[in-house]
Amino acid sequence: MQFLQLDFIRSDRGLQIMPEKLTNGIKAPKTLPFEFVPQEAETAVLNNPHAKATTLVDDVLDAMEASFGTAVLERVVYAGERTVRISTDSLLEICTWLKETQGFTYLADLAGIDRFTEEDRYEVFYNLVNMTKGKRLRVVIRIDEESMTAPTLCDIFPAANWNEREAWDMFGLRFEGHPDLRRMFMPEDFEYHPLRKEFPLLGVPGSMALPPQVPTGELTQDPFPAAHGSKTPWSFEEVESEDDV
Amino acid sequence: MSIINNTNFSETLKFWPRHNEAIYRRLESKHSWVENGGDGAAGDPLENEMILNIGPQHPATHGVLRAVVKLDGETIQGCVLDIGYLHRGVEKIAENKTYQEFMPYTDRMDYLSPYSNNVAWCLAVEKLAGIEVPDRAQWIRMMMSEIARISSHLIWMGVGLMDAGAVSMFLWTFQAREDIYEIFDEVAGARLTVSHSRIGGVATDLNAAGINLITKFAADFPAVLAGWEKLLNRNRIWIDRNVGIGHLSAEDVVRMGMTGPNLRGSGVEHDIRRFEPYLKYNDVDFIIPIRTEGDALARYFVRLDEMKESIKIINQCLDKLKTLQGPVRANDAKKSSSSKNEVFYSMEGLIHDFMYTDTGVAPPKGAASYHAIEAPKGELGFYLQSDGTGNPWRARMNSPSFTNLQALETMMEGGVMGDMVILIGTIDPVLGEADK
Repeated sequence: MQFLQLDFIRSDRGLQIMPEKLTNGIKAPKTLPFEFVPQEAETAVLNNPHAKATTLVDDVLDAMEASFGTAVLERVVYAGERTVRISTDSLLEICTWLKETQGFTYLADLAGIDRFTEEDRYEVFYNLVNMTKGKRLRVVIRIDEESMTAPTLCDIFPAANWNEREAWDMFGLRFEGHPDLRRMFMPEDFEYHPLRKEFPLLGVPGSMALPPQVPTGELTQDPFPAAHGSKTPWSFEEVESEDDV
Repeated sequence: MSIINNTNFSETLKFWPRHNEAIYRRLESKHSWVENGGDGAAGDPLENEMILNIGPQHPATHGVLRAVVKLDGETIQGCVLDIGYLHRGVEKIAENKTYQEFMPYTDRMDYLSPYSNNVAWCLAVEKLAGIEVPDRAQWIRMMMSEIARISSHLIWMGVGLMDAGAVSMFLWTFQAREDIYEIFDEVAGARLTVSHSRIGGVATDLNAAGINLITKFAADFPAVLAGWEKLLNRNRIWIDRNVGIGHLSAEDVVRMGMTGPNLRGSGVEHDIRRFEPYLKYNDVDFIIPIRTEGDALARYFVRLDEMKESIKIINQCLDKLKTLQGPVRANDAKKSSSSKNEVFYSMEGLIHDFMYTDTGVAPPKGAASYHAIEAPKGELGFYLQSDGTGNPWRARMNSPSFTNLQALETMMEGGVMGDMVILIGTIDPVLGEADK
């Protein structure tokens, strides 16, 4: 019964009134801030309990700004993590510099982000790790909806290969110079890029052919053929195969 | 000799013709270096180039991995992997769920160690929203994650050895896994899809029966492991099938971005538990096993030693949990689900519960953070972006199996066909998380 005492956390915004107790000892009715108020990132917790020492890479970012100047567009700090946005044109240059002079030899992650209604709709982030010094840095580029292309990182980090294919599959971002830009998860016959915000959660009916229920059957577009009257033969029933015909 | 020149795929393949055509074209375009006169008997596949499709429904592919290989005799000249047969679009699903609602989906990602995935997701959300977790919950999470690590490595061991022909090992490791299932059943209420972790803590505290089961397991398992080691470490067949197979140098694994035991088997000292310690890994005494050989045998020894280290961590957690009492969930109804006492006996608690179920945690607008843990297979990280609502704007999953599988093509090329199952086993992929 250790949770029985009802001390709700008071926040510094919203509607709550907080006289702890009235004089007669009865608790005052609390009006709690139930309505939903999105907070801005700046007002969020600065001392994040999960912040890591590896993300303190200000010296690297300072050096980057000194070397590349205007190519470094923006520096964001949240939860102790440093994100640096650079111009798309200087991505290869900066990544080569990070790898060769700053020791960020390991690409942990790469993926696209759809910002949907914003200017420069797509983002690609690169999660780079310096194993010897124990540093982690996130580099971000933005891609315009008109161009939809980014330079490939495969030559510098071969690990980027599949991740870039995934970003192509999921967002339709083309990576110039990629050796093998096929779709990663979806079949080539699929025409959409499902992680874009306008793609419906339930999918597009009829967008992908599904295998027939019997070897000689026709391809179907119906994911639930049994529910719509199509009967699968029992395993003991002989199905006419192509060889018999 | 071109294999695909005379083939019109739209006629021969009625199912996904463009997809298969792309795979075969890619295979054809790959650089192959095996010099061969090619003057063998015409039509004999052992003397000529041959394309072989393995999977996605082959039991040795550990799920639904599809490998299309070009063979010259028994040598693999080129290999193209095709994944995505288990693609469920969980990143898309996550964008449409609240943070707590998505947690059970992570059970289905790496289904061999669901507890680690729960913890990884919850830690990522806690970092994004700045939620502090009570100490006892952190120790419980750490202990259960290590048990999950053992259970995952047991599957790798059993299935890997079964692929090499030792079927009895498969049954023995499943016996040990049964003990682990019992622990999860007692602690979390489910055997496989545990969903025990909550944002801000864990669902329930350990009970005495659970602690007894864990204590018994931690006491008995080292002897079981020692017995297997006796059987395997000097086993001629097992050693010969593994030594020198799938060799990767330290530069290779870093270049190709491999993680986990595959990285450490090649002599790279990188473990998220040390690199950026989470939970209470700073407070326990354990070592990170490293081998420098870089072949399948080295990875076998790394995983074997990791299991022993996990037992060491579990024992320390058990000791700590004896004295460390306290809540197992953050006492903040805006950030973690309320306790049942609050929900049942107070109006505010009920409303909080409703709001938490409906909207849940709402990290500040524009917040973005990445949190990684050392899952049994490597670095499992979630990159989350918030738009200020209860659903993540972008939930990116960095899954170790996906990262590791990328190197499998390189490992297979130049090897022989018979080693293929060993190579898949030594990578230890789970297609549930590779396909997302």
